[in-house]
Amino acid sequence: MLSRDFVSGLAAISIGAIYLVFAYGLRTSALDDSVGPGGMPRAYGWMMLILGLMIAAGSIIKHIRSGAAPDLGIEWKGQGRRVVWAAGLLAIGALYIFGISTLGYPVAIALLLAAVSLYQGARPGVQIIAIGIGGAAFLWAVFVLVLGVSMPKGLFILL
Amino acid sequence: METLYLVAVHLGNPYVFLAAAAGVTWGILGGAMPGISPSITMALLLPFTYTMDPTGAIVLLASTYVGAEYGGSIPAILIRTPGTNAAAATVIDGYEMNKQGRAGLALGISLYSGVLGSLFGLTMLILLSKPLASVALAFTPPAYFALGVLGLSVIATLSGDSLLKGFVAALLGLMIATIGTDPVTGANRFTFGSSDLLSGIAPVLIMVGMFAMSELLVQASDRSEGTKVLSRPRIEFPGLKLARRLMFPQSIGATIGTFEGVMPGAGGTIASFMSYNEARRWSRHKEEFGKGSPEGIAAPETANNAVAETALVPLLSFGIPGSNSTAILLGGFLIHGLVPGPMLFTRSADVVHGLYAGLFIAAIGLLVIGILMLPMCIWLVNRPRPYLSAFIFALILSGIFSIHASLFDLAIMLAAGTVGFFMRMLRIPFLPAVLGLVLGYLVESSFRRSLVLSGDDLSIFFTDKVSLALLVVAFLFVAGSVGKRALDFVRHRPSAHYSEGSE
Repeated sequence: MLSRDFVSGLAAISIGAIYLVFAYGLRTSALDDSVGPGGMPRAYGWMMLILGLMIAAGSIIKHIRSGAAPDLGIEWKGQGRRVVWAAGLLAIGALYIFGISTLGYPVAIALLLAAVSLYQGARPGVQIIAIGIGGAAFLWAVFVLVLGVSMPKGLFILL
Repeated sequence: METLYLVAVHLGNPYVFLAAAAGVTWGILGGAMPGISPSITMALLLPFTYTMDPTGAIVLLASTYVGAEYGGSIPAILIRTPGTNAAAATVIDGYEMNKQGRAGLALGISLYSGVLGSLFGLTMLILLSKPLASVALAFTPPAYFALGVLGLSVIATLSGDSLLKGFVAALLGLMIATIGTDPVTGANRFTFGSSDLLSGIAPVLIMVGMFAMSELLVQASDRSEGTKVLSRPRIEFPGLKLARRLMFPQSIGATIGTFEGVMPGAGGTIASFMSYNEARRWSRHKEEFGKGSPEGIAAPETANNAVAETALVPLLSFGIPGSNSTAILLGGFLIHGLVPGPMLFTRSADVVHGLYAGLFIAAIGLLVIGILMLPMCIWLVNRPRPYLSAFIFALILSGIFSIHASLFDLAIMLAAGTVGFFMRMLRIPFLPAVLGLVLGYLVESSFRRSLVLSGDDLSIFFTDKVSLALLVVAFLFVAGSVGKRALDFVRHRPSAHYSEGSE
C-alpha cells in the first residue's frame, strides 16, 4: 500500500490541508478586491488537496487492479540509508549556520570543508587539514577580498 | 540589420567579453564533472550575479550553459560517463573512438560541432525572438494572465511519467509565491510575524536549494570512487575530407536542435538522441555507428549546443523557461529586476543585445577555451569526490549568504534542498515547482487586476484577443500532451521522462 505514489498523495494532502488552515486564517478587509489576499491561496490549497487525493486513490486502484501487494522492500530499497546520510549532511549545514556568527566565516568554512570531506569518506589526515585551511583561504579571498561581501567576523572581530 | 549593429556595439565591451569567457570556462568545468548538470553549474553562479551589472550577469549565466553542453562530452568520450544528460548520445561513438586511440579527434569533433551548433542556434535565436515578442504593445492585464497560464501549461510536458505529480509540484511553487506581501492589497500573507518573509522568498534560494543542494543530499550516501581518466589526449580537429563528411550530420543536428530548443520541455537530451538517430538513418556509413563513427558525435553535439541557444527563444519572447537551465537563467533576469517576455525587447533592449553579443563571444571562445581547459577538466574529473562535494557545499553556503548577508536565507535554501531531496525520492519533478514559483506573482496579480478592470467579469479573458489566443495555445499544449500520454497508455508505451532530461 505504501508505494511512492501513495506517499506522494498523502504528502500533497497534508501540505494542502495545512496550507488551507492558514489560507482561511488570512484577514479580509472591506477595501479588498473581490478575490482578496486569501482567494488564490484557498484555490491553490483545495487543488493541492484534490490532486493529493487523486494520486493516492490512483495508487490504490493500481494495486487493486494488479491483484498483488507491492513489494515495499523493492519500492523503498536503499531509501532509508539515503535519508540518514542526507540528514547527516544537513546537520553539518545547520551547525555551520549556528556556528558562523560565533566562529567567524574563515574558521566556520574551514571546519565545514573538513567535516564534509570526512563525512563523505575522505581519510582523516593532514590532507583534510590542508583542504580545510586552503579551501577556506580561497573562499575568503573570493568572497571578502574580490567580491567585497561582509562575512561574519566572529572570533576575528578585533582584527 | 539594426539588431546586428547594436550587437556589434556590445562586441567591443570588455565586460561582456570577460563575462562570456568566464561563463564558458565555468560551464566547461561544471559540465565535465559527472553529476553536475548545466542547471546546477548555473545555479552555483546565481548568487555571484547579484553584484554584477545586468548584462554581464545574464551573459555569464547563458555562456555557462553553452560551455556546459560541450563540457559534458569530455567525460562521455574519455570515461564513458556523460557529464550532462544531453551528452549521453555522444558516449556511444565517442567512447568507441577513445578505445581506438582517437580520443583527441573525438573531442575535436565534439568541440567544433558544438561551436557550429552554437552559432547556428544564435542566428535562429536572433531571427525568432524579436518577431515573437513584437506583439508586446497589445499586452493588457488579461493577456499577461493568459501568458502566465501558457507558461504553466508547459508543465504538461515537463512532468515526466505523472502529470498529476507535475501539477502538485507546480502548486507547491505557486504556494511559495504567495508568501510575503499581497500584490494587490499589500496585506501580509503567510509571514508568521517574520520580517524576513515580508518580501517573499527569493526564487534564487529555492532554485539553488532544489537543484544544487538536493543533488548533494542525494549523493551524500554515494561512496563510489568514480572512474578516473588515465589517458592524456590532445584535441585534434578533422581534416578537410572528414569535415566535409560531417557537414550533413551537423546540419541535421542544427535543425533538430533548433526545433527542440524552441519547443518548451523538449530539451537537449531528446534533441541529441533524435539527431543521432537521424544522422544514422541518412548516413552512407551506417555500419560505423556504434563502432566509433565521427558522425555519431557531430550530430548530437551540434544539436545540444544549438538547443542551448534556441531554448532562449521562449524565455526571451514570452518569459517561459522550457528547461531547468533556462529556469535558472530566468532567475538571473529576476534578480536584476528584468522580466523576460514581451516588454523585455522594448524596456531592456540593451541587455538583449548584450546577451546576443555575449553568446557570440561564448561560441567563438568555446573553441579556444575548450582546447585550453581540457587538462584542467581531466584533473578535476580525477579529484576525490568527498573534496568536490565539500567544496560545492561551501560554495553554495557562501554564495547564498553573500546575497543578503542573511543566515535566514541559508536556512530557507537548506529547507528547499530537503524538499527537493524528498521530491526526487517520491519521483515528483521539481522544475514545475520552479515554474510555479516564478510565474505565481504574474498569474495572481494579472488575474486580479483584470477582474478589477472588468468589474469582476470573467469574460474579459476571452474578449481580449491576445488573451484568447494565448489561452487557446495553452489549451492545445495541455491537450496535446494529455493526448500523447493517453495514446502511450493505450499502446502500453512508457511516457518519456522529460523532466529528468530537459536540461
